[in-house]
Amino acid sequence: MLIEQLINGITLGSIYAIVALGFTLVFGVLGIINMAHGEIFMFGAFIGVVVTATFKGPLWLAFLAAILVTAAMGYMLERFALRPLRSKQGVSHLAPLISTIGVSILLENLSHHLFGPGNHPFRASFAEISFQIGSITIYLVQIVIFVISVLLMYALSFWLGKTKAGKALRATAENLETASLLGVDVKRTITMTVIIASAMGGIAGILVGMAFNSVTPQMGLSIGLKGLAIIILGGMGNVKGAMAGGLILGLAETFVVVYGNSGYKDAIAFVAIIVILLIRPQGLFGQKISA
Amino acid sequence: MLAELINPYHLQVASFILINIILGVSIYITLSTGQLSLANAGFMGIGAYTSALLTLNFDLPIIVGILAGTLMAGLFGIIIGIPTLRLQGVYLAIVTLGFGEVIRVIFVNWESLTKGAVGLSGIPHMGREILNTLKGFGFDPKVLGLQNNQFVFLTIFLLLLVITTSIVMFFRRQNRSRVGRAFAAIKLDEKAAESMGINITYYKVLAFAQGALVAGFAGTLFAHVLAYISPADFAYHRAVEILIFAVFGGSEVIWGPVFGALFLTVMPEVLRFISEYRYMIYGLIIIIMMAVRPQGLIDVNILNWIKLKTSKRGQKHGTSSQKSM
Repeated sequence: MLIEQLINGITLGSIYAIVALGFTLVFGVLGIINMAHGEIFMFGAFIGVVVTATFKGPLWLAFLAAILVTAAMGYMLERFALRPLRSKQGVSHLAPLISTIGVSILLENLSHHLFGPGNHPFRASFAEISFQIGSITIYLVQIVIFVISVLLMYALSFWLGKTKAGKALRATAENLETASLLGVDVKRTITMTVIIASAMGGIAGILVGMAFNSVTPQMGLSIGLKGLAIIILGGMGNVKGAMAGGLILGLAETFVVVYGNSGYKDAIAFVAIIVILLIRPQGLFGQKISA
Repeated sequence: MLAELINPYHLQVASFILINIILGVSIYITLSTGQLSLANAGFMGIGAYTSALLTLNFDLPIIVGILAGTLMAGLFGIIIGIPTLRLQGVYLAIVTLGFGEVIRVIFVNWESLTKGAVGLSGIPHMGREILNTLKGFGFDPKVLGLQNNQFVFLTIFLLLLVITTSIVMFFRRQNRSRVGRAFAAIKLDEKAAESMGINITYYKVLAFAQGALVAGFAGTLFAHVLAYISPADFAYHRAVEILIFAVFGGSEVIWGPVFGALFLTVMPEVLRFISEYRYMIYGLIIIIMMAVRPQGLIDVNILNWIKLKTSKRGQKHGTSSQKSM
């Protein structure tokens, strides 16, 4: 029982971690909070539903389609909501936040019109396959989710740490103007970052669809807000912090459902950020807070 | 003759415009110190639920409920404001957003008190209570040639008009006072303001608590005008709706959110086919406004231009919002 709940918590936590990674990438480079990330994630989940349930396509095609669509949305977000604000002088630092809130509202209601407000089941053929190890039941989906999220985190760390593009990205995050003086194509790097973050959101969307077997237009908001809570918990712009924060929140929520009142599950994330911001504003793993 | 002119539906819409204007003012107050607070929907909920529960469970008069609800929201504003105002910019926005969510989750889950997601119904209606009181004195709306429900909605509208006008006037005056100048100084540069001897924490908490107070007040009015509230009324969408009043209308001058609330409440009512796409249009408006005109439609320049135009015609000066009402 305990181990099963632990596995559930880790599954949930690794999904949260992927969502949070998307937030953290954009915050690390641009210093802005992308409120539309949750809705892009939700669109990824819907593309998964459309491909597998409506067109009876295979799962890999669903992943591919979701990545392509969410990457395109990431580009549009960068091009129309963020870039116009960057070139302007004297724009309040709250402007990009408000602008992405606009994108999130637009996308949420767009999905209402495109897919309908109800709950869409996600029919993955292997969702019911499970193993028995002793008295513990493990679903194949849980393993797939965990493996994919670990792979994604490794790929991201490798990309950030070892490749030239990753180095350019870190330089841009450090200082935009200096990086551009040193020959980094800042515009391209920023666009790349937003696109990659959005595509990761799309992958997370499909994983959530598989794990919970339900997709609704409102899920973007609730999971997006939790992703936001996680990056504050783990430290803004900190990749390892996002992973750890995701796992902590996933486990905490699972155990509150088991041992406490399930209704208050959704409040944990926010109580946690309120507390963490007051006690340790740089987050659990952050070094210092950027003024 | 009066009876034919008065349409309860129009009056109801007008009442909601006035409540939304109060909400717009509430976010304007915190924004005028440069703080973005997204907790105003939560404060509105606190006000609405406090007043509704007091009048429903203890049969208190509405006016007591409204006062208690407003004060409760203001109290929460101070409690939340003191610790959170150490945070800046986006952090404050996220914490206040989180606070709003926590409040909503509590409303949904505290079923023994709040009836959960179903919400509270049968809340005493402001207009009907007034009518009943007046009837107790032997008054009959027919004296004025009005039907009962026409009279009810007319009273609500007039009452709200007086309340909203006084609130707007109060904060307009406050802007020109010592407090308003302190707010403006903090908005421009916190460090400079502090070195000029302005107690930043005091004024920031003051602005935050005023915003909470006003939002809570709007919440109590909302509860007693609609007679039905549910947690969904005070969720993220409400927070965004309040934000967009200030983003669209402008947050530099108080007429900005007033105009924003007026325009954005009337628009979906007048253009019925639009109301289905309302939130999509809201989203587009936010994106476009941020890219093109981040200070909002109404700013100081526009206001001066309007003043110039109207004074040339030798009229008493006013703003677009007053004219169109």
